[in-house]
Amino acid sequence: MDQLLPPEIDEAARSFPEALAACGDLNALMRLKGAYVGREASHAARMMDLLKAAPKEHKRELGAQINAYKQQWEEALKGRQTELESAKKAQDALAAGWDPTLPPPVPAAGALHPLNRLMDRLVDVFRPLGFHVEEGPEVETEAHNFDGLNIPDDHPAKASSDTFYLAAHPELLLRTHTSPVQVRTLLRVAPTLTERGGIRFLAPGRVYRKDEIDPTHSPMFHQVEGMLVGHGIGMQHLKGTLEYALRTLFGPHTEIRLRPSYFPFVEPGCEVDVSCPLCGATGCRVCKGSGWVEILGAGLIHPNVLTYAGIDPTVWSGWAFGMGVERMAMMLSQTPDLRLFFENDQRFLKAMGGLD
Amino acid sequence: MWIERKALAQEIPAVAGIDTRELCELLASLGFPVDGVAAREGSEALDVDITANRGDAMSHRGIAREVAARMGQSLVPLPPPPAPEGAPLLEVRLEATACPVYATAVLELGSGETPESVQAFLRALEATPKKLPAVDASNELLLRYGHPTHAFDADAIRGAVTVRWARSGEDLTTLDGVTRTLATTDLVIADEAGPIALAGVMGGDATKVTAATRRVLLESAWFDPRTVRATARRHSLHTDASHRFGRGADPAMARIARDLLVLRLQTWCQARLLGAWTAGADPQRGTAVVLEASLLARIAGETLDLSQAAEALQRLGCGVVAAVGSLSVLPPTWRHDLNIPEDLAEEVLRLRGYEHIPSALPPLEGPPEHLAPAYLQRQALARRLAQLGFHQTVTYGFISPEADGAFAGPGNPAEGRTLANPLGYEYSVLRGSLLPSLQVSAGQNTRQGARQIRLFELAPTYLSGPDGPREQAALAVVWGGVLGGEDPFSPARSVQEADLAGLARDLGIQDGPAIHRLAEGLFGFEVSLAVLPLPQDRIIPAFRPFSRFPAVERDLSLLVPLGLSHETLRQAMAGVLPADALQDLRCVDVFRHRSLPEGRQAWLMRLRFQADRTLVGAEVDGWMAAALAAAEALGVSLRA
Repeated sequence: MDQLLPPEIDEAARSFPEALAACGDLNALMRLKGAYVGREASHAARMMDLLKAAPKEHKRELGAQINAYKQQWEEALKGRQTELESAKKAQDALAAGWDPTLPPPVPAAGALHPLNRLMDRLVDVFRPLGFHVEEGPEVETEAHNFDGLNIPDDHPAKASSDTFYLAAHPELLLRTHTSPVQVRTLLRVAPTLTERGGIRFLAPGRVYRKDEIDPTHSPMFHQVEGMLVGHGIGMQHLKGTLEYALRTLFGPHTEIRLRPSYFPFVEPGCEVDVSCPLCGATGCRVCKGSGWVEILGAGLIHPNVLTYAGIDPTVWSGWAFGMGVERMAMMLSQTPDLRLFFENDQRFLKAMGGLD
Repeated sequence: MWIERKALAQEIPAVAGIDTRELCELLASLGFPVDGVAAREGSEALDVDITANRGDAMSHRGIAREVAARMGQSLVPLPPPPAPEGAPLLEVRLEATACPVYATAVLELGSGETPESVQAFLRALEATPKKLPAVDASNELLLRYGHPTHAFDADAIRGAVTVRWARSGEDLTTLDGVTRTLATTDLVIADEAGPIALAGVMGGDATKVTAATRRVLLESAWFDPRTVRATARRHSLHTDASHRFGRGADPAMARIARDLLVLRLQTWCQARLLGAWTAGADPQRGTAVVLEASLLARIAGETLDLSQAAEALQRLGCGVVAAVGSLSVLPPTWRHDLNIPEDLAEEVLRLRGYEHIPSALPPLEGPPEHLAPAYLQRQALARRLAQLGFHQTVTYGFISPEADGAFAGPGNPAEGRTLANPLGYEYSVLRGSLLPSLQVSAGQNTRQGARQIRLFELAPTYLSGPDGPREQAALAVVWGGVLGGEDPFSPARSVQEADLAGLARDLGIQDGPAIHRLAEGLFGFEVSLAVLPLPQDRIIPAFRPFSRFPAVERDLSLLVPLGLSHETLRQAMAGVLPADALQDLRCVDVFRHRSLPEGRQAWLMRLRFQADRTLVGAEVDGWMAAALAAAEALGVSLRA
């Protein structure tokens, strides 16, 4: 092939990339374009002359070689032209008064509180299963907070060392868990439970216990309660629902583990562990190397709780769970100090809460 | 409770071959999670978490019983009694049903110390050996077998021993040196001079065993759990004994623990048994509980073989009589938590392991319910405010009376909202307003160097009422600092009241709320959510036609007397303009300067007209003249 084109053409082809890179503006580029692919007196024009003069048997091969060079040069020239044009545009814009690299006015961004965000997420997870939200007051009666939940009247939680009471109304207290919402809801729906076809709901909310304020304690915190009442409800339904919910929250490979435990308002009762969402159950500081993290307490509703609400436990059964929102938030976010959630530093809120 | 591995293996040898991690897993799967493992006295001690219903498991024997049941193993048998019981050496009278059985013995102590192995056992469990065999043996028995016992100095006791209710005005100095005034609902052990022990809680100081004690009177009884709990709480005296009696000890252990105590004293210090006897009798056992196969299947999520269930319950010590489709189950004397069929079903599942429970989603039996409008309203508000750049806060529901007084209305006295037992004065009142809490959070953010404060909270406020505090869901917003100035395009200016008014309007608050100045350049407002619109159904509303003809915009530059409100002027001008053509009328610029006539400011009023036809210039000129005339009637003049 080489013998088909004179050495000065090959030399021009070799030096083309360097010449192209050396073009600092569009004018230089136009000059280079003229020299290589211009209509007259360019390397391309010269090659076309050679092609015309070439013997017939070489024409095909030579034509291919010439086209390859021309195509290569034209594409490279076009690319470089785009680059130089956009650089010129930016420069023109700067000169015209708007520097696109100046900080633009950005709309203000706020945030939901991380605890609210987590509670909202839990509601979202349970909505497709037909759960709605029930709420109740924070100032409660002993009856709703304790008696209706099969908690004996000499239970230590009732002591004034554990529970806040109202001075002017000794029978009123600040609810110590979201479980009184169970009692209120069951009392309300008991007469229509058959028409409703049972009930299933979440009860997120604030609760109070007489704990001093320190990195792991707060006199006010949040819980999310879940409850389902239906026909023939057993432990398998609790397990199935929590498996669905926790896999939605933490990922499809999440495993859950039920361990026997005790709460007065359920029987059987259990603690529920989830395979550590931080290390994928390989063992880390959060799961203390065990691969499991305790996430909530649950169980089948104690017959006394149903009976208190006027629901026949031989007809109806159900499950309930309760989860500490702060505990879960701290575990997921690795926040070192519970007090940060109540300090409301905007930097913390922005970083942790986001907008969803 | 601490469980020492070697001691556990002394009750169930099979445990010795299990590595610690596996043992922890085993205990957790039985409902006894291990919170930690510590190296103690050349062995390991496990910090076992025991739930409040399982007083029977609060000992090495108790935990061993659980492990044995799971593994299908037997416990090491207890040693036989050292001697048959004989006639009472002194009278023991049981006058209260709260103490149905009281086993006792009198021994003459010889020489000898608590064995080093026992002292090491006690130290491993964070108990301090007293080096008094009678005391150490009682403590060791409690930790090993779970039954609290007590040793009195027999020579310090005067006359007969009575278990009775304390009499009004009686007092007792307990072992901790505290003199306690007793209530008539405190069960006591008394001699003829008065109380010598708080039953099931703590012994008395005057009859305690010391190095000088020659003869001991042993007590191994059973006390009613409620009585012990009440006394422990009344005197704030929570002891190892009160924890176990309070959760329900095993009445059948009264004689056995007494015998074990006698054996120890005989072995450790050559004590001579002078006599052992028992007053009263074991309390009546509860009745059998019937577990139906159908209930067990419902709870388990699958049909379980009744004979296997029976076998599991028997391994736990239950007496089981099988019938067709059900089991009649008599719980063992140490289990006070097995009272209803559900309790038994739990035991069957627990022993089998909860990991065998199948998994299923519960079928939907009725239509799902909607989210309540009040809930959706809060969600929508929170999202809108967050989108507008505000940060949702969470603050405590109780504040100091001073902070509360600054914003709670006059009709809302703090007395009705005050806690009886607050964490402190600064947390003593359920707040009548959210603003004080947001004011504090804003101050903290300012001190941290925030240029702009944008906070809100959605939470209940409390209104004192005759039936207690009534909760009202409320929204409070605080906003302050400098707007803009963070880029070349947004000039800096301070946040003003008007910004909050505009925000309130954005949120759909009809009547502009009172805007409070909370600090220099910091403003806030608070509204009850009842005054805010509920979220609309998410459905497209009916079409309302709008004009496609061009709009006409005209400005009027007016000199307005200071003191004339924008709303008065706007209404006066709008009143003379055709309602179907006037689209908007508002002040778009205010200018105040000393170059203006005294007592005047300049307002640029912008009027916008649009109708279902093309507006003609002359027509609009007429309207503008009328609007100006209406303004002039209020003392306004056209600015030259």
